[in-house]
Amino acid sequence: MHLLENVKMAVKTLAANKLRSTLTVLGIVIGNASVIAMIGIGQGAQTFTQESIESLGANLLYVYRDWQGSEAVTGDPPQLLLSDAEALAAQAQAVKLVSPIISSSLTVNYQSQTTRATVQGVTPSFLPVRNMRVRTGRFWDEMAQRQYATVVVLGDELSQKLFNRAPPIGQEIQIGDRSFQVIGVLQRKGGALGVNPDVNAFIPITTMANQLVGRSVPGGVSIDEIEFSAKDRASIRAAAFQVTNILTRLHGKKDFLVVANKSVQDLLGQITGALSILLAAIAAISLLVGGIGIMNIMLVSVTERTEEIGLRKAIGAPEQSILQQFLIEAVILSVAGGIIGISIGMGSTVLVGMFTPLKPTVPLSAIVLATGVSGGIGLIFGVVPARQAAKLDPIVALRRS
Amino acid sequence: MGETLIHALAGVDLSIEQGEYCAIMGASGSGKSTMMNLIGCLDRPTTGAYYLDDENVAELTNTALARIRNRKLGVVFQQFHLLPQLTALENVMLPMVYANVPPTERLKRATSALVRVGLENRLQNKPTQLSGGQQQRVAIARSIVNEPLLLLADEPTGALDSHTTQEILGIFTELNRIGMTVVMVTHEADVARTTKRVIWFKDGQVLNPNLAPQDLHQLVN
Repeated sequence: MHLLENVKMAVKTLAANKLRSTLTVLGIVIGNASVIAMIGIGQGAQTFTQESIESLGANLLYVYRDWQGSEAVTGDPPQLLLSDAEALAAQAQAVKLVSPIISSSLTVNYQSQTTRATVQGVTPSFLPVRNMRVRTGRFWDEMAQRQYATVVVLGDELSQKLFNRAPPIGQEIQIGDRSFQVIGVLQRKGGALGVNPDVNAFIPITTMANQLVGRSVPGGVSIDEIEFSAKDRASIRAAAFQVTNILTRLHGKKDFLVVANKSVQDLLGQITGALSILLAAIAAISLLVGGIGIMNIMLVSVTERTEEIGLRKAIGAPEQSILQQFLIEAVILSVAGGIIGISIGMGSTVLVGMFTPLKPTVPLSAIVLATGVSGGIGLIFGVVPARQAAKLDPIVALRRS
Repeated sequence: MGETLIHALAGVDLSIEQGEYCAIMGASGSGKSTMMNLIGCLDRPTTGAYYLDDENVAELTNTALARIRNRKLGVVFQQFHLLPQLTALENVMLPMVYANVPPTERLKRATSALVRVGLENRLQNKPTQLSGGQQQRVAIARSIVNEPLLLLADEPTGALDSHTTQEILGIFTELNRIGMTVVMVTHEADVARTTKRVIWFKDGQVLNPNLAPQDLHQLVN
């Protein structure tokens, strides 16, 4: 008896019991659908976090004040100075650009529109370090910065909030109790890691420290953080090392933290990767349950079909042909369930892609693996019922019916 | 412990020649069912030998037995045992599937077998759409489709009314007339009378290996 013949027969038998076949494959369908959906969404989440962190600047590093460090508890509160940033720009070989930042939440007002926004005092290095561009207008230059210019560059969303559709360039807005002239609007960027430049306003750091927030301390001007870019991807570690050395020397202690954007990216990549594997593994358990479901129904089927099995044996079906017949039925059930499940899983990832910012992708290898595993499950869980059918004594089987 | 060994058959010495038409008779527990299973190669004797077509079946493996059931034997049961999801034609084709007969040949042979039992108008009917007599005809067609050496029938008319019984027995008689060896297990004297030889079993032994059907009333009474 040929394999193809047995396949045809199995399809016929399964089609004759549509409801039962459908219910039997349900476990495998759900298992595969959830495995594929989890892998797809996991991949999407991973790509999403990677891309949004990458968009901050691939070679970006940050210096923060270390409030939790042992030095902070015992000595003076940690402090970063504007002069620190200048020292880094001058001395750190692996550093390309340095961008000191002062941040403060202030009221921003234009005519009848008043809102509260994060206003950041920055230098012209801010744009290239953050990998950002001006959409309309311009950014201020070093000269304006030295002259404490009262100019402002707006994030796109903030600009829309204040001006709606009116052209913002050249308009005067109030920040705190000062008047600033809008000279540019930044290109929309989107948020990442809780930072969204689109809703911020940017003014020269000198003006910010001098006229809006009191930041004068004995050593100079106190700032909130320093962002800087390494010369290239290969010099990220070197840049972090040099910055740490220079600042430790200047401060006389290590009261700061240097964090590379890339290590945050790597860490988050590992976390999302581990999470999606965990989710897929949990989903895979339902595949196992589905396999047990198939075995269960196939065992019932063997009991119900003793007459058929006995008759087939009586007219000359060899044991391995009966074995093959029941194995094929189990494999067809599980593979069909696998294909349906994979389709549903793929469909759900498409839906997720439509309604969330994630772009889920299902790798071909996952599809191949899921199909293979489903077939394997049918084979493994089909063996017990199929052997039981094959070993049936035809005399007993025919008498029992 | 507490189990007694029972010899369903003991000391049976019997031979059936090619072209014979005989009935195996006996009361319940006489061993005729066991004999039927041995002849049908569904079972093997614990000791002793059974030669079918000069081959000692008692020594064969399960797979070889299956092959003999498929190629050399045709079986007809009291309960027909047709597969309900298959049509009459597909049921008759089933033994040829296991004999690796090519599909076009299967169709040809199954159709002609069904024509031989008078079911040329019922080829595509499922068993549930057929009467008991028609179902048994399908079963007979199925049993002869691989051109067996021996046709074995186990109470073939046990589930049929007397009129249908006569029709079915007519088919067996006709098959035997054109050369088929037919062995029928029955407990009905009327059925046994249509055969040419009666083998009478009692208590696991052959009481009379060669009883003329017309003398049957002596034993029955």
